[in-house]
Amino acid sequence: MSEKWNIILKVLRQKQGETSHFDEYKMDADPDEYVLDVVERVWAFKDRTVCFRHACHHSTCGACGMRVNDAEKLTCITYIREVTRDGGTLKVEPLRNFPVVSDLVVDMGSLYRRLEAVGARSVLPAPEAEIEKPPSRWSSDDEQYIRLADCIECGLCISACPAAATSSDYLGPAVLAGAQANGLKLNPELLNMVDSEDGVWRCHSAFECTAVCPSFVDPARRIMDLRTQIFKERVGGLFRKA
Amino acid sequence: MSANVQSVSTPRSGENSWWYLVKIVTGVLLVVLLGIHLVVNHFIGQHGLLTYADIVAYYQNPIIPIMEICFLAVVVIHALTGLRGILLDLKPSRPILQVMDAVMVIVGVVAVAYGTWLILVIKSRG
Amino acid sequence: MIWRLKVDTQHNRPSPSKFWNWFNPVGRQTSGWAFMLQRVTALGLTFYLFLHLIILGQLANGPQGYDSFIALVSSPVFIASELIVVAGAILHGLNGIRIILTTFGVSVTRQKQLFYALMVLALIIIVIFGIHMFTA
Repeated sequence: MSEKWNIILKVLRQKQGETSHFDEYKMDADPDEYVLDVVERVWAFKDRTVCFRHACHHSTCGACGMRVNDAEKLTCITYIREVTRDGGTLKVEPLRNFPVVSDLVVDMGSLYRRLEAVGARSVLPAPEAEIEKPPSRWSSDDEQYIRLADCIECGLCISACPAAATSSDYLGPAVLAGAQANGLKLNPELLNMVDSEDGVWRCHSAFECTAVCPSFVDPARRIMDLRTQIFKERVGGLFRKA
Repeated sequence: MSANVQSVSTPRSGENSWWYLVKIVTGVLLVVLLGIHLVVNHFIGQHGLLTYADIVAYYQNPIIPIMEICFLAVVVIHALTGLRGILLDLKPSRPILQVMDAVMVIVGVVAVAYGTWLILVIKSRG
Repeated sequence: MIWRLKVDTQHNRPSPSKFWNWFNPVGRQTSGWAFMLQRVTALGLTFYLFLHLIILGQLANGPQGYDSFIALVSSPVFIASELIVVAGAILHGLNGIRIILTTFGVSVTRQKQLFYALMVLALIIIVIFGIHMFTA
């Protein structure tokens, strides 16, 4: 038997060029269903003009990222129970730092283009993938297996990053994480790209990206690793030349 | 790939690993130098160096003016490179950044020159 | 009920005019607060540095000018504001150590615990300075 909560869903509404406002919907919700389910029910039964993105409903496609009660969430895996209470409100807004297309849908083109520019891979050979308990030793056979990269390109990290709010040229956590997975050694073009004011040095260690990442990418750790790599290349480069 | 890099954004070299290294090195030095500065000015004697005579006496040790001039240079460099990092977050245009850099170099040089002059004046009053 | 906000599609883009977002505390992690602390103290200390240098120019005017200035700033209000500056410097310096360590990959996964530890240390040092500045 499922529980039933009464919640008020506040959705930030905004069509092209219009001033934004919140629309409120009184909803019945099971605390163990997901935020996306409730948003979808608004669209199905209350208001067909609500725009939002969703596809897989199991945290693989990265389409349904939103701001839920002032925190970035992948709504398809965020339980109602985690973000509100019976009789409480649920404020749903589009991700920050991306232009709004309509209501909760933002244009994430800049993220996809930058991921491509740094050569971020969507699949990695198994031995290169960072997994929780790697085998003590990879056999040569394992090279043939590939694994999906952890990043699902949902954009939550860029929405959460305080540095991304002011500079539209900042590559952003997800992109820098993609660059880190490729490594800077023997990759001077990538090295120049991330060793710049729009690369790792725009990061000011707020670690907000890692906190909101729904997929264990840990972008902040990867940015710090990039910095260490950059110093190795630049400072080490001096000695190699000499 | 290079075509894409161009169309995505043109990473600018306003900040790079060397700038950041300067901030780190001066930052570490400041933990030591500012620590000394705070202890000297609050814990020496009763409440630190409070009177004019105390300060003139303090500067008679030849190590002190050298340390204070180094401290001044390090703190000015750290402050200005740090401020520059914050201003770069506001995405200044290239010409504005050049003006900013020029102003910062002038402010830095004037501050260090003025401070050094002041330290030498105090020392000479001993 | 409807709330009207003054935002449009353009305003959801990154923009230099959103610098206030650096200091917006809504929905921040501990490390996000650390970022705000570092930035606020950075700006405050930079301002104080130049103010401090200008005021110390009084020393060149000899004992009368300087000692009467010190008498003026020995009131509790000035001592309290001086303590704020000292506290800012201690917080900025200790949090800076954490930023340097994480930059070189040290304690990245434990940065929150490191922050708390450093802030406790900062608080102890600030209290020692505070007690000393207001007593003895």
